[in-house]
Amino acid sequence: MKGYKKYFLNKLLWFVITLVAAVILNFILPRLMPGDPVAGIVARLAQGMSSSTGMKAVYEKYAELFGINKPLLTQFFLYVKNIFQGNFGSSFTQYPRPVLDIIKSSIWWTVCLQFPAIIVGWIIGNTLGAIAAYVKKGFDKVILPISILIGNLPAFGVAVILLVIFAVDLKWFPTSGGYGFDLIPTMSWQFVWSVIVHYQLPFWSIVLVAIGGQAIGMRSMSIYELNADYVKYARFMGIKDRKIVGYVFRNAMLPQVTGLALSIGTMVGGALVAEIIFSYPGLGYMLLQGILGQDYPLISAVTLIITLMVLIANFAIELIYGLIDPRIKAAQAE
Amino acid sequence: MSKVILEVNDLTTKYITRFHEDVYAVDHVSLKVEEGKSLGIAGESGCGKSTLALSLMGYYFPPLHFTSGEIIIDGQRITGMDPDTVRRTILGTEIAYIPQAAMNALNPTRKIINFIEDVILAHDPKVSRKDIYDLARERFEILGLPEDVLQKYPVELSGGMKQRTVIAVSVILAPKILIADEPSSALDVTSQKMVIKMLLDLMEKGMIKSMIFITHELPLLYNVTDDIMVMYAGQIVEKATAQEAVFDPLHPYSKGLMGSIIVPEKGLRNLKLSAIPGVPPNLKKPPTGCRFAERCKYVIPECKTHPIDLRETGEGRAYRCIFSEEYLRKVYQIG
Ligand SMILES: Nc1ncnc2c1ncn2[C@@H]1O[C@H](COP(=O)(O)OP(=O)(O)O)[C@@H](O)[C@H]1O
Ligand SMILES: [Mg+2]
Repeated sequence: MKGYKKYFLNKLLWFVITLVAAVILNFILPRLMPGDPVAGIVARLAQGMSSSTGMKAVYEKYAELFGINKPLLTQFFLYVKNIFQGNFGSSFTQYPRPVLDIIKSSIWWTVCLQFPAIIVGWIIGNTLGAIAAYVKKGFDKVILPISILIGNLPAFGVAVILLVIFAVDLKWFPTSGGYGFDLIPTMSWQFVWSVIVHYQLPFWSIVLVAIGGQAIGMRSMSIYELNADYVKYARFMGIKDRKIVGYVFRNAMLPQVTGLALSIGTMVGGALVAEIIFSYPGLGYMLLQGILGQDYPLISAVTLIITLMVLIANFAIELIYGLIDPRIKAAQAE
Repeated sequence: MSKVILEVNDLTTKYITRFHEDVYAVDHVSLKVEEGKSLGIAGESGCGKSTLALSLMGYYFPPLHFTSGEIIIDGQRITGMDPDTVRRTILGTEIAYIPQAAMNALNPTRKIINFIEDVILAHDPKVSRKDIYDLARERFEILGLPEDVLQKYPVELSGGMKQRTVIAVSVILAPKILIADEPSSALDVTSQKMVIKMLLDLMEKGMIKSMIFITHELPLLYNVTDDIMVMYAGQIVEKATAQEAVFDPLHPYSKGLMGSIIVPEKGLRNLKLSAIPGVPPNLKKPPTGCRFAERCKYVIPECKTHPIDLRETGEGRAYRCIFSEEYLRKVYQIG
């Protein structure tokens, strides 16, 4: 266990270093975008106002308010301090709505869309991949090409295809939104039904992409494991094929766990495409809005969440993986 | 003559490859191993030794296929038996096997004891885990392996320890005959000695009744097995006692194998070294005549035109060469 502790501390150190770097980049990058966000807001607010001194006063008030007239370094420390207090500031575009509030209302859309989709896609994909590897004949010839096709279509391709076929042509599902735009979020049947209907296309577009990628990976891992020497030995020691298949799929599955944890970690980033195409009110969609409106606090907050989730997922993978897979455990001990 | 544990008559098996080119890697092989005896099988890489080992167990899966012949283990004919019956009643219990790549023979994510449980339960689902543990611990102790190995994953063991563990696991069901495929080849000299000693111990202690030891180094078999069989291109080219095979080889290939390896073994120090030039033939299209003809120093035109039979010289000795024993001994003496 001593080796593991060292491994843990090492990983933790790197986690912290990456985190710090990420926070700095998260702060700086949006601010390097060309354009002046306050000018945009002021222009909107000051519509009809004719005196330039009045405009200037409004501008300075907002610049003060958002802190963008201070030196960048001061802004940064303020930003960090605020983050630790759970304060991401006010959104520029939806001023005075706090960024935290925007995130709170959109993050659940993303999580409820992505999480089940990733899990379902992972399970179906791995099952199909394993079956393709084991059955080979026929089945493999069908699953593999389809998986390669879907797995290599860009995510937006799948989403657009679904959108065109099922929403535009067949009109089975709505084209956009998280629920009917004429409804108020309540716990009524009408609303819940609307949510379910709106859920389908974004959900399946993510599931399909996940299935494709997972199935290919699982198939090749399983084929590799099926030809491993331990399979031959176990067979000749009289162990039943069913048991051996169990060995093989467990071993093939372990690396796939990494894929699962990673997709959960990159959930928000991964959601972008589906959310944007279906105008689904999740974090990805909010990020797009933030970028379009040069909403620094919103962009920083969303990208920070994305970064954090990826980092935590990676960290968790390495820790858990080191525990569940003796092959990695042994490698750590060295 | 004592009881025959393994009898193989005219066994032929083939690999059916992806492009449907058959590889006859075991070609009309017959052999006998008696109780208390060990047989060494020698030959260069690619001669079909591992394929023979797999073929002996009567349990085939693609790409290896049974073609013809007969395998009898302790009086029981296993060729023609239903595969699941072979699995349940023969594999591990009558005949066991140590694969060539014993380093990778154990499932990396399963503890040794759990794998032993799988092996035992595959033959008798009623045994309790405690009995299995007790048996495993006792066996490990007899074989000089530490008990804590049982609770380890294969990756946590050193190469030599892994090899010895595989041997211990192979004999857990007290098989009558053990086939060890190059059990020492990938190891350092110390581990090699340990492994060979362990195999001899198994015989000595009666944990197995007979053994087949496969190696590409013929001289290694001296002091290890009672009899030696030399394989070339899927066929037996010589059968003899270890003493004869090492000091009085008849087939030019056996003679060549004796000269090709540095042997630190006692009594064999002054052998001249020389590798056999050339490579074994492609088994997809084996030559019609003597398969060794291409590489043989003593070749004459007749060697290449018609197949050569395995010639018995009496007392279990046999060789596959166009020349007489006397002629061969004479030319070897001249050098
Ligand atoms: N899985 C396989 N499929 C097709 N040919 C094989 C396979 N395994 C071995 N062979 C061929 O069978 C022949 C004998 O191989 P093998 O039994 O491994 O020899 P050895 O153990 O003496 O080195 C070789 O020509 C080899 O190329
Ligand atoms: Mg071999």
